[in-house]
Amino acid sequence: MSGHSNWPEWIYVAVVIALMAWVGAEAWETERLIEHVPEDAKIIIVTGQQWFWTFEHEDGTKEIGELHVEVGKAYKFEVVSKDVNHSFNIHDYVVLMDAIPGRVNTVWFAPDKVGEHDIQCREYCGLIHYNMRGTLYVTEPSS
Amino acid sequence: MAVLVALPAVDFVFAAGDEPGKYLDRRVVIWNLFYKMMTVAFIVGSVVSGTIIWQVWRFRESHPKAKPTSYEGTDW
Amino acid sequence: MTLELQKPRPIWQIMFSTHHTDVGLLYLITSLTFLFLGGSLALGIRAELFLPGSQIIADSMTFNRIFTVHGTTLIFLFIIPFASAVGNYYVPIMVRYKDMAYPKLNAIAFWMIPPAGVLIWLGFADFTWYATPPYSIISAPGPAADMWIFGLKILGVSSVLGALNFVVTILKCKHPDMSIGQIPLLAWSFLSTSLIIIVAIPTFAAALLMLLTDRLGVSGFFNPALGGDPIAYAHLFWFTFHPEVYVLVIPAIGMMYEIIPRFSRKPIYSYNSGVFAFVMLSIVGFSSWAHHMYATGMSFTEKTVFMVGTLAAVPASAMHVFNFIATMWNGRIKFSTPMMWAVGGIALFFSAGAGGVVNSAMPLDFTTHDTYWVVGHFHLFVMGTIAFGSIGYLYYMFPYVTGRMYNETLGKIHFVMAFIGTVLVFFTQHVLGLYGMPRRIYDYPPIPEWIAMNQIATVGAMIIGISMAIFLANMIYSAGKGKPADTDDPFGLGGKYYYPFEAKNPSH
Repeated sequence: MSGHSNWPEWIYVAVVIALMAWVGAEAWETERLIEHVPEDAKIIIVTGQQWFWTFEHEDGTKEIGELHVEVGKAYKFEVVSKDVNHSFNIHDYVVLMDAIPGRVNTVWFAPDKVGEHDIQCREYCGLIHYNMRGTLYVTEPSS
Repeated sequence: MAVLVALPAVDFVFAAGDEPGKYLDRRVVIWNLFYKMMTVAFIVGSVVSGTIIWQVWRFRESHPKAKPTSYEGTDW
Repeated sequence: MTLELQKPRPIWQIMFSTHHTDVGLLYLITSLTFLFLGGSLALGIRAELFLPGSQIIADSMTFNRIFTVHGTTLIFLFIIPFASAVGNYYVPIMVRYKDMAYPKLNAIAFWMIPPAGVLIWLGFADFTWYATPPYSIISAPGPAADMWIFGLKILGVSSVLGALNFVVTILKCKHPDMSIGQIPLLAWSFLSTSLIIIVAIPTFAAALLMLLTDRLGVSGFFNPALGGDPIAYAHLFWFTFHPEVYVLVIPAIGMMYEIIPRFSRKPIYSYNSGVFAFVMLSIVGFSSWAHHMYATGMSFTEKTVFMVGTLAAVPASAMHVFNFIATMWNGRIKFSTPMMWAVGGIALFFSAGAGGVVNSAMPLDFTTHDTYWVVGHFHLFVMGTIAFGSIGYLYYMFPYVTGRMYNETLGKIHFVMAFIGTVLVFFTQHVLGLYGMPRRIYDYPPIPEWIAMNQIATVGAMIIGISMAIFLANMIYSAGKGKPADTDDPFGLGGKYYYPFEAKNPSH
């Protein structure tokens, strides 16, 4: 209880608070950078439904379970859902956004290398949640 | 005064990253942050667990230098 | 302090008793039963995930039901009733009152738990412990879902009644000679958690009713097809269940505050900072709920507010760790089983907290949200900290409850195996999350890293499982046939331990 001085604890608490302030500041700065969507980003509408993904490009072409994008361009996903909550996730590109019915959530990315990546659902959506998968194909620019 | 300094600064930071054709690589930015925090977490973690492990070793009652605390035998 | 040891009585006398130690015993046995039931589900989950493809669970629906009931059981039917058991045994004695303030209410609060447990287990719902709408409204099969809702409703009422009882017992029934600054920290932890429960639970109670009427089709609170918003449910749910995290962890910390000074043969380093940190946690715990929802499309400002609210809870938790370390410093520590569990719990508490800080940093949510990182993180809390504190305290109170001593060697084996297992399972799951494995999946693609880490985790889980079997055998055998304990000093610590209000030396 009382009876002895407690300065080590105050120093310790000050260190913890300083660390947390640092974490908060770093996180704030990073989040600010990645939330800024480039103005020339192409829009892709991502629709989640039990249990597959549909992608609609700006020119109206639709893909199911597969998404083709080009290296060096920025894409903005508008993530929507037709039935229950899903979460659109390209883990290799750290893209994650929930698909909530009645809402349009956005997230953007700019692929920089040709390749294939997994697309998966990361929010529980029922029976075949575990296999609600797709593939991202990053290709050379066509023009 | 503070507001006068802060407002343009905030304006400036929000305008960053608009150069066309050059996009931020979110993987790099996010994983960098992650590794930075992991570095700090592991340093702090090794200090904390190191302290606990050391004191578990030093202050066990079977340690050769263990001596009764000043509270033993009293009504504390 | 010694509990009243009572002569063996017919079981119905204990069942219909309203005395606090009897109700405490009922809570204890119920919570341990559900610990083993929920734990065996966890072993089933881990066995299934040992390899890609179907192993022992036939289909994904069964798997989804299993992890839902696993989570619900261990949170609501093990951790919370276990804390109530300890509170029932110790709080009245610590405030020097003959019983709980309302003994009948106390018994009623307990007797709501078995029917709720039966509803949850007979229903076996599949919509996760979060009952995620709109899935839970439009897709989840009944009557399992409705039984889950009713079960949780009953448990909510039970914990509010229990919490009211603790608050009144501590504030109104404490001995007139004692000031509030003299009750032991364990009683303070029950005061803080009870206040959190009273403030937080009604929100979830309302949300559950809304969920039920939504399922019945007469309302559309969370159903987008009827103009509702699933995010509203998320806010209501997490407004209750983020503070609930502190409801789970604070009593465990209070239990460590009982164990650590005693086995270090030193008083708590700073009683005042312990009280301060409890009160801080229970207030700040209400400012962070939406950090569970970063990925639902929140604005930058909202995320910032809740990140700051989350980080604000860290200093208070860190104060507890400091207090434990400073208490052990210069002590003469006897590592009996309870002390090993308490110290192990503190060590893991740091890792769990550090993982939580990473989660709360908003951009990192893109990498960790809804992956196995989160699973590893909160399991380090509920298993590594809360269950460790609780099991340590169970060993600690065992001689006082039964009048007999448990087998010390088996207790230590239990600790070592459970500690190794916990590290193997939950640290591996953090890494698995960084590789992108989503949680709540029945099957996964054969990615070599995923397979390897899932197998490590499964092996760890089996080690925990074996250690728990040893624990069960030890408890059952020792309760009946253990060596009679010296209830004045069962752990051979020498001398008497006094609470602050009993001490003759006023500075301690």
